[in-house]
Amino acid sequence: MKLYKKEGNILQIISFPTESAEKGDYLLVEDADAAKALIAQVIDVQFAAVPGVLEELLRTLPDGGEPLQGEDIDPMEIAPHITYIQDASLLICKIRATLENEMLSPSSSWLPSRSQSTIKKLSIPMLMKLAKVDGKLPIILGGTKDSSLLTIDASSIDGTLNIITGKKGCGKSHLSKLLMVNLVGYKATVVIFDLNGEYSSLGLTNDGKRNMYYDKIHTLIPSQNFKVALEQLPLNTVMGILVNALHLPGTSAREFRRLWKMLKEQGKLNMQNLGEAIRDLNCNQHVRDALASRFHSFANSGFFTDCPGEATLLDESLFKAKDAGGAIIVNLKNTSNIDRQIVVEYVLGKLVDSLSNWKLKAVFLFAEEAHLYLRETYWDDIVTRMRHYGIFTTFITNQPDTIQDTIYRQADNIFLFNFTNEHDLDVVSRAARVDAETVRSIARDLPPHHCLTLGKVVRDFPIVARVRALDIKTMGETRLFFPTLNS
Amino acid sequence: MIEQYTITNKYNFPQPSIDSTLPQRFFEQSIHSLKQVQHHPLQLNQQFQQLNTTEQYPHNIQLKPQPIILKPDHQETIIAAIDTSTIKIGETSTGIIVAVRGATTWKQNGAYKYTRLGPFIFHITEENKNQLYNTLEHAYFSTAYGSCHQAAPNIMQMPTRLASLLERWLQTMLAKTVNRGVLLFDGSLTCGTPETPTQRLREILGYARRNQSTVLAFSKATTLRANGLLITEQLPNRDPPYLLETAGVHSKPPMMLLGDVYVARLNKANLAFRLDIDKETPVEQRMDAIQKLLGNDLYTQSYPETLRLSHILCAFTANEVLAIKHFITRKHGIQIINRPDMHKLLFGSYGFKGEN
Repeated sequence: MKLYKKEGNILQIISFPTESAEKGDYLLVEDADAAKALIAQVIDVQFAAVPGVLEELLRTLPDGGEPLQGEDIDPMEIAPHITYIQDASLLICKIRATLENEMLSPSSSWLPSRSQSTIKKLSIPMLMKLAKVDGKLPIILGGTKDSSLLTIDASSIDGTLNIITGKKGCGKSHLSKLLMVNLVGYKATVVIFDLNGEYSSLGLTNDGKRNMYYDKIHTLIPSQNFKVALEQLPLNTVMGILVNALHLPGTSAREFRRLWKMLKEQGKLNMQNLGEAIRDLNCNQHVRDALASRFHSFANSGFFTDCPGEATLLDESLFKAKDAGGAIIVNLKNTSNIDRQIVVEYVLGKLVDSLSNWKLKAVFLFAEEAHLYLRETYWDDIVTRMRHYGIFTTFITNQPDTIQDTIYRQADNIFLFNFTNEHDLDVVSRAARVDAETVRSIARDLPPHHCLTLGKVVRDFPIVARVRALDIKTMGETRLFFPTLNS
Repeated sequence: MIEQYTITNKYNFPQPSIDSTLPQRFFEQSIHSLKQVQHHPLQLNQQFQQLNTTEQYPHNIQLKPQPIILKPDHQETIIAAIDTSTIKIGETSTGIIVAVRGATTWKQNGAYKYTRLGPFIFHITEENKNQLYNTLEHAYFSTAYGSCHQAAPNIMQMPTRLASLLERWLQTMLAKTVNRGVLLFDGSLTCGTPETPTQRLREILGYARRNQSTVLAFSKATTLRANGLLITEQLPNRDPPYLLETAGVHSKPPMMLLGDVYVARLNKANLAFRLDIDKETPVEQRMDAIQKLLGNDLYTQSYPETLRLSHILCAFTANEVLAIKHFITRKHGIQIINRPDMHKLLFGSYGFKGEN
């Protein structure tokens, strides 16, 4: 390989057919005299502009029809050399760092010698070693192209905002399960908003047996085993549900707050008394109607109960997970849109409450297709306010444009699967820790189950890895009408 | 001692029993000459120039104003063409490194086919040029005509000589093997030069006649003038295709012209070419041959496609020059050095030598 050009932080390297380099590979451009080296990643592979190639190709097409048939008697065997030159490729590489005295710096301001520099492939384990991507809490994400393992440290997703995105069926949920079980393994508390009911079986192996996580997986199904009693609810959580999920106007909200406090003081706070209090409320008819309709939403959701014995599961689960680690899966599969928002508002409110009172240390929140249940103002809340309470969110989506720009800009880690749509790639490119060329070029060619990992977990060295298999019962498969034909 | 190398005897177009002695010797001499230059530095040829023989043949002649009107004859006939090319790859401290390649192209059953021979790469020095050329000449004909008895060619003329030798050999092979065909040569039928001994061209034309084939030699450029104007620029106001006959073309000894010279305008493209046809071919057969060419070949710019393809196929592209440099570096350990080009150094962007 030979260094050809450097423009900004882009290197162009001539590579010959015997030197295979592909998108995603890392190269070390070493200038011995300068005692420095550039670490560059191949983001595109093109044909080298070898002079005369066009003439070479065109001359076998005499009249625009069939290629010219012929025989080449080449006793000196020059033809392989012609092919060798013709097939030379131009590697477009992004400079990621400068290596000097075994220390990495993000600088690309120096110019290595074009004639004297040596260029060799840098293996992922060596890169990880140089970048000091190690730690005491390893999570093996999968295998890289050079058959090494990509291992990240669980602490590098601690306190971070993460996004897992890619088109449908490429392995996003699988990766989120992998991260979850590993976090649970390190005794972390994980909460999952499970939109399709596919995380409930995390405690089972492929053949249906219990695995090591079985006792740490707590599945909460709203209105079935997951209910709340009004008296357990802090007022601000209820107000959050009413205002944000049920869009209660300000005047009615004030009236509700007054009613709630009155019932609380009287020790009569339950669904029945609340319903009666609203019915008997002496106020403007519109206010009473607004409160009544919200009360019916409460009642119809089946999520609220007057029986405190039924309403302890979330607290219990959080308590169990606090010390031994655990995953609290909020199964939203059979929950209506309004009920889903009520449940999410409640869970988030409860988490903030528990965290602010130091009942919990921190929570890793995994939110699948969050646009379906998160109100708009919550996005900023999650990445700013809630992060300080200790809610570290991972968004999982196949529609990257449903996540707000502010989330991308503040994302610490992005796990990017294949996207072919330019628009989707453009959206992801807005992330602060990502350069647009890398995303556009590499993500488009990612095979299924291969993930481009970007951000803090890999010390800003984007790495492609095939996500490793998990011995966990899968439940996220698409239901098929012709299962045998499609299998 | 020259090592023996073997090449696959593939040159069997279109009939068997082909003598491959010359390519065998080309190969041997090529390897032998390159071995002499191993580990010597090579200076790149700074201005690549493909060397082709250009003939000087100034004569005042007459151009008959009445054109011979031609009608395409679609009777299936083999149209075959030959061309060779040579290029200087670079210079060494003792000589030059050149590459030579030849191509034959033919159209049969509506499809173009080709055989390419080479490239052969030679290191030519003052010391080896005679031995190299004579070995190849002897391999070509059991008796060498002319050149070995003459003064040794200038080292810079050697690439052209080698290409001519290969071209004549290819022409001989075609003349010997094609029956009732039309053979297209590049250039004129002038002989008596060191590159084209008279007897050699006579033999080639003789083989063609024996096989009832007709040799048509097209020159891309000519210096022949009639009334002070180039013969290819005095076209009558008639619809092509036609030929214009010339008269009074004589050559000065020792040069000889073995053909009659015509101006051929084959289609409406406003281009015409000098066409030499073997003097000993009957006029009827000449017209028959050119009409079969019109009926069987393409001639988009008034130039036969088969001959155009031969030229294109043997020409060296920049890609191939790079590959040859790669070959001599890898296989023969010749170091490529880039000495400054004095023309460029002294005159900057005005430092071209005139040819490009």
